[in-house]
Amino acid sequence: MNRMNSKTIMWLASLAMVLAWIFPGPAQAKIETVKGPTFNLTARDAHITTPDGGSYLMWGYALNGGTMQYPGPTMDVNEGDTVTVNLTNLLSVPVSIVFPGNVGVTAIGDSDGLLTKEADPNGGTASYSFTAARPGTYLYYSGTNPSLQIEMGLVGAIIVRPEDYDPVTNKRAYGHADSLYDYEYLFLLTEMDPVVHEMAQCGKWDQIDLTAYWPVLWFINGRCAPDTMANANTPILPTQPYNCLPRMHPGDRILLRFLGGGRDLHPFHTHGNNFLQIARDGRLLSTAPQAGGGGPGANLALSDFTLTVAPGETADAIFEWTGEKLGWDIYGHDVNDPLEPGEYAPDHGKPFPVTLPDKKVLTFGTAYSGSPFLGLQGDLPPGEGGFNVNAGYFYMWHSHNEKEMVNYDLFPGGLMTMLIIEPPGVVIE
Amino acid sequence: MFKKILFTAVIICLFGGAALAAPGVYYLRAGTTTKMMPDGQIITMWGFASDTSFGAKDGQIMVPGPVLTVPADQASLTIYLDNDLPEPVSVFIPSQIATTVPVKFTDDKGRERIRSFTHETEPNNVAPVMYTWNNLRPGSYLYHSGSHAAVQVQMGLYGCVKKNAVDAKGNKPAEAYEDLPYDAEVVLCYSEIDPVLHKAVADANYGPGKAVTSTMNYQPKYFLVNGQPYSNGQLPVSAGTANDRVLIRFLNAGLETHIPVIQNIYMKVVAEDGYPYNFGGKLQYSLTLTAQKTKDAVIVPAAGIYPVYDRRLRLTNASASPGGMLTFLNVGN
Repeated sequence: MNRMNSKTIMWLASLAMVLAWIFPGPAQAKIETVKGPTFNLTARDAHITTPDGGSYLMWGYALNGGTMQYPGPTMDVNEGDTVTVNLTNLLSVPVSIVFPGNVGVTAIGDSDGLLTKEADPNGGTASYSFTAARPGTYLYYSGTNPSLQIEMGLVGAIIVRPEDYDPVTNKRAYGHADSLYDYEYLFLLTEMDPVVHEMAQCGKWDQIDLTAYWPVLWFINGRCAPDTMANANTPILPTQPYNCLPRMHPGDRILLRFLGGGRDLHPFHTHGNNFLQIARDGRLLSTAPQAGGGGPGANLALSDFTLTVAPGETADAIFEWTGEKLGWDIYGHDVNDPLEPGEYAPDHGKPFPVTLPDKKVLTFGTAYSGSPFLGLQGDLPPGEGGFNVNAGYFYMWHSHNEKEMVNYDLFPGGLMTMLIIEPPGVVIE
Repeated sequence: MFKKILFTAVIICLFGGAALAAPGVYYLRAGTTTKMMPDGQIITMWGFASDTSFGAKDGQIMVPGPVLTVPADQASLTIYLDNDLPEPVSVFIPSQIATTVPVKFTDDKGRERIRSFTHETEPNNVAPVMYTWNNLRPGSYLYHSGSHAAVQVQMGLYGCVKKNAVDAKGNKPAEAYEDLPYDAEVVLCYSEIDPVLHKAVADANYGPGKAVTSTMNYQPKYFLVNGQPYSNGQLPVSAGTANDRVLIRFLNAGLETHIPVIQNIYMKVVAEDGYPYNFGGKLQYSLTLTAQKTKDAVIVPAAGIYPVYDRRLRLTNASASPGGMLTFLNVGN
């Protein structure tokens, strides 16, 4: 077999990136989860890839003895469940799991660690169980040498569904109606210093100094942009199964579950509108955070356009968009046309205030539909467009620490994805 | 009675408190000390000691400096400062009102620039220099040098000053802020050490034209809680007994943001920068503690051990793990 030279590899990497970029239309817009309440995880190693062509050794939690994945499986359990996580350790160092925010964890394992029981190297086991007492968004990660092991990838998310949750008729994050949503999305934010992983690859563990940590890659759900927008479970990213492509219709409420999985704080900016932060660390922002549906709700919720996602913390936010206050009708309606679902009525029929320049003088982006109006495909020159199959609106959502929007110095990339406002009627799943 | 006073004095010494001259009056002395890190590195530090009187020099230089406790019924805090360091120092408490007289200097370009937030104490002063806060608000605060702060604070000239709204009396519990009672308290003061900076300062190699000219390349290697990085076998911190309302005073005297995470329990975060929240507080297992931030949280724990660790993962001593900002709270039966 011929060895691929580095040019071929780079070309393939570029192709993969382009493929990921140009097939966003059917990309799933949901949180890929694994149902509980029992999970069998294996700590093992494998490589991930980054859009700049990088390939890095990682440690991760694999599901049911399968492929290592970064981040670990998103566990999906119900309030009141007795959650059991069985861990098998195929790494050469002790490993464990801690569950911040989930109290009363019973741990059994081969050895006593500082924070919890650990699974010994090379086949050891540990088991953790707890009652998922409160709904919300939670992290799990290694409690063994966390400075190194979380950087290596041993981190994941847990979603605890409230008692009265129903995936069709009653989508809510907490007991209270303030947390009702139409679609939900996960934003597990991490970063990486490749030097750590290169040293690990070479077995030079004693040369890893995390006090000299200098990240140059930034991830949402284990992927750097533009891979964030590719399909979940795409075969080109076998160890990075999760995407992050929020999509919604005007008038929808979407739930954003943020988790600080790494070690740095990331100011996450939602273009298009403010979000309303309703919870933190799995507790409603409320004067009665433990109250259910009859309580005061998220009466301490905070409206903002940038959320500081801090490591170890989780935050839930509701985002809505109707085009309110644009001052023009996003559908190009005549005043006598009927309203679209979710349309911002005061702007109905208001004309688009810009005379569009001649197409001959425009430079087109891959996401431009050829028209300023939602759902309307305009004429585009041959070879242009194609990214925006439903003629939606694209809003970049990204780290407001702008240097985190690169992949190892290559812009654009990093901690970034797009929100797509889809026209009414487009099926989102 | 004498026994009781002696007992109190012993308790105060045990907890790094300062010997009281009179309620709300402290004789602090700035001086040099060293700290040994778990890997054997010996670091030169600047710290404060609490003396019984000016010139007595009977206190021990420590980092953080002694916890200054002002009685609830004492309106003012007065610090008499003695300076054994080679450069002028001062004492400053962010978020507390005092009459300050900033000290300026003229740089080599003829510009007038601030050197100190308030009046300074010259090296080897023969008379005490007084710093007064006439109406000290209750709460948890940092005190630190207001002089040449970029260098002096990271060298170790910082500590905790605290005052209750109501002190405990008989069966009546203390109140940290009005209507915020507690039964036991823990102070967790976070800071870092960049050994390169400390060595440069110790060797008089810091400053214009010298080996290290600024703190711009600050890269800490050691991460301290109450002046000590974690090392194996370190004893847990006593945090009351089961079902106590345990007040945790979080203070960040370092230059970095830290995020203490407590395991197996939620904290009610009730105050920030010495101001109680007006909505009763927030339930969290983590809190973001930016540089110079103070936050107060209350837990009502069952008996047991509760780890508190920095989720920014400063959990090493240089490159060695475990270490750094890891503390175990021990709640007794």
